[in-house]
Formats: sequence, structure tokens, C-alpha cells
Amino acid sequence: MRTEGLAKTYGSTRALHHVDATFEAGQVTVVEGPNGSGKSTLLALLALLSKPTSGRIRYGTYTAAQIGAPLRAQIGILSHAPMLYPDLTGRENLLFFAGLYGVDSIRVDQILERFAVGAYVDRPMRTWSRGQTQRIALCRALLHTPRVLLLDEPSTGLDSSSIEQLIDAVIEERNRGAICILITHHDAIAGRIADQRICLQRGQVAASVIDRHDMIDQDKEPLQRTPDSR
Amino acid sequence: MRFFAATWLILRKELSIEFRTRELLLSTALFAVLVVVMASISFYVDVTAAEKLAPGVLWIAVTFAGVLAMGRSWNRERDQEVIRGLLAAPIPRASIYLGKATATFAVLSLVEVLLLPLVALFFQLDLLAVGLSVFLMLQLGTLGFVAAGTLFSAMSLRTEARDLMLSVVLFPLVSPSLIAGVVGTRAILSGAPFLEAFDYFEVLIAFFIVFLTLGLWLFEPLMRD
Repeated sequence: MRTEGLAKTYGSTRALHHVDATFEAGQVTVVEGPNGSGKSTLLALLALLSKPTSGRIRYGTYTAAQIGAPLRAQIGILSHAPMLYPDLTGRENLLFFAGLYGVDSIRVDQILERFAVGAYVDRPMRTWSRGQTQRIALCRALLHTPRVLLLDEPSTGLDSSSIEQLIDAVIEERNRGAICILITHHDAIAGRIADQRICLQRGQVAASVIDRHDMIDQDKEPLQRTPDSR
Repeated sequence: MRFFAATWLILRKELSIEFRTRELLLSTALFAVLVVVMASISFYVDVTAAEKLAPGVLWIAVTFAGVLAMGRSWNRERDQEVIRGLLAAPIPRASIYLGKATATFAVLSLVEVLLLPLVALFFQLDLLAVGLSVFLMLQLGTLGFVAAGTLFSAMSLRTEARDLMLSVVLFPLVSPSLIAGVVGTRAILSGAPFLEAFDYFEVLIAFFIVFLTLGLWLFEPLMRD
């Protein structure tokens, strides 16, 4: 997946400016940068939730303009908000989204088993803890076995065991061959799972992408960051 | 996924939530009943005057209850950013619009079933002969109002001044339909010939077709940016 001269403006505000980046299958790309640097805008564009002002995104040989809904079927998105209905139970939410993605209800049972979701799955989500909610949100994002997994600060408000589970899931998806793109301010998470890191500042790529394995071999700092990006 | 299959899923989800919480039905029905009761206490003079006042009261109650219902319905999508999950799904996005509009119409229809006898009671109207025609006119007006209102409520997801935008944009746009509804209902209640009332039915049908077409056509580009 590749972005070419990607730009997005909201009125007079320039959210992204000429972003060129490549995201490989079977790799985790961590997108970093200070608040307002354009990270979430980039993810919204990649998820086809927003339209670029200029530039384009190539998904293999296709562009978003060429294929709409079939492309969305290949994308899973998880953010700090669970994107689930609090008045429905966890299972009802998953069955609803399974219907939208044309996924069999057996898959719902499989994914609930994979993430060891307990009996609380049949209670309305309004009564759930943050960790339980985010676990089901992860189930929703992975329900249709996406080839592109987009994660926008998914660890916000999670305890350490929930974060561990999240990291394991992302690694599993990476090993399956999915393109994983993660926005996080959590340096420890980024350091553990990033195959490449992109630092955005004021809507532009401020630091070049560095291969994690090279960084480990050369025992370097993972990314040269400017003071205000911390 | 096919358009109508996705619409059905959205509609079923809306009705499931409503069945569980009764949030829209209770809030809109209570509000509409309150409007009717207060109006009857304030404005009722005699049976002749009541016949002229009742259509206005009925349509005002339905209109404001409708705005309340549509606002709350889209709040469900705004909470927890569920709307992003829906927009990310591989379904025709207009099916979200149609599913939510249909669910709102169903709720408002129930409110109208309750409201019409109540208005008849408080304003001493004899609905035995014309009740069905009045209900049909209300339903047609509600279809157009919901078609327009659902679109503008969805647009308001993207603006901070949500309630203001809904009032400032929606009410002027739907006023021709509301006026046709009020005048048409008054004509029916005063025993006007069917052909005279039929003109108002035509206006309401045209209004519904225009706003349904606009809603289905504009929902996707409006939601995308």
C-alpha cells in the first residue's frame, strides 16, 4: 500500500501535505508525531473515511477511486473509541458488524474464542470495563480477516495486561501477512512491534522510515525525533 | 453487500436498540403529548375554533417530536464513534441513511397513532369519517420530513453547532411541506371535497420523492467529507 503526494486540507487548515509512504504486507508501521500533526487524518484517508484533497493511495494496483466498497471489506479499523453500540451486547454488536461485512456468524464464535471473551459478552456493553470493551472492539476490527489493519491509539486507557493482549494480536496479524499501521504515543509499544516508523510533523513526514531490524543490529536510537514530538 | 440487505441490517439494529431502551419512543411521545395538552389548555375556545387549531397543534407536535427523534437517533452513532465503523463497512453508504430514516419513521408513526386520538379528544374532533385521511396525510408528511431531517441530522454529525444547524437549515426547507400538511389537514377536517385535499397529498408526495432522492444521492459524499 502506497501513498503518493497525499494531501488533505480542511478549509484553510493544512492537515497533510505531500505524504509519500509505503506500507508493506507483513509489517507493522508505527506513525508518530505530536498532537495535530496529521496522524489521524492519514489513517482516515487510508481507511477511506475521508477523501484526499490531492494525491492518491494505491492499494496494490488499484486506487481508492477505482474500487470503493470491496476495498473497505479488506480494511479493519480500531481506535480509542470502540465504534460499538453500548445498548447492545458484545455478541449482538459483533453479529451486526458480521452482517455488514458478509461474515458468517460462526466466525463470531471463533473470534470470541480466540480472544477468550468471557460470559460478559451477552451483557449490554454499557456495563463493561474499558479493557473488556476494547477487546470486543479488536474482535470487530479483525472479524472479517482484514488485509489492512489500522489502529489509532488503541491502547488509550488500557491496563498492562490488555496492552499485552493487543500487542500479541497485532503481531499475529503481522505474521499472517496483514499490513498493520499503528498510531501510538506509547514508545514502549512502538519499540516492540514497529518494523518501520514514520514521524509526522505539521502534516509532513519529518523523519524517514527506519527498519526496526536495522536499528537493532546497529544499536541505534529507533528514530531521530525533534524535541516537540515527544 | 446489496443495498436493501444492508438497509435491513441497519433498520433491525435500530429497532433492537429502540425495543431495548425505548429512548426515542418515550421521549418523543411524552414531548408530543405535552405539546397537545398545553395547546388545548391555552387555545381551546369552542368546537368551531378547535377544528381550525387542531391541525396546527398536531403538526407542530409531530415536527418537534421528529426533530427530537432524529437528533437522538444520530447521537447513537456519534457516541463511541460508531458512525466511523459503519462508514468503514463495505456497504452502500446510502443504506445507512435509508435504514435510519425508516426506523425514525416507524417510531414517529407509533407516536402519531397515539397522538391523533389524543388531539381528537382534547379538541373535540369527530374523526370517525375523516380519521383515516388525516392519518394518511400525517404519514405522507412524516415521510418527507424524515427524509429531509435524517439527511440534515447526519450532516450535523460533522458540525459543532448541531442543533442550531438543524433548526436553521431544516425548518425553512421543510416549511412548504408542513404548511401543505396543516392546510390539507384543515381542509379534510372541515369536510372539503376529496379533490381539494388531494392537491395537498400531491405536494407531500412530491416533497417526499425529492428529499428521498436527495438523501440517497447526497449521503455518501456528505459523509465522506
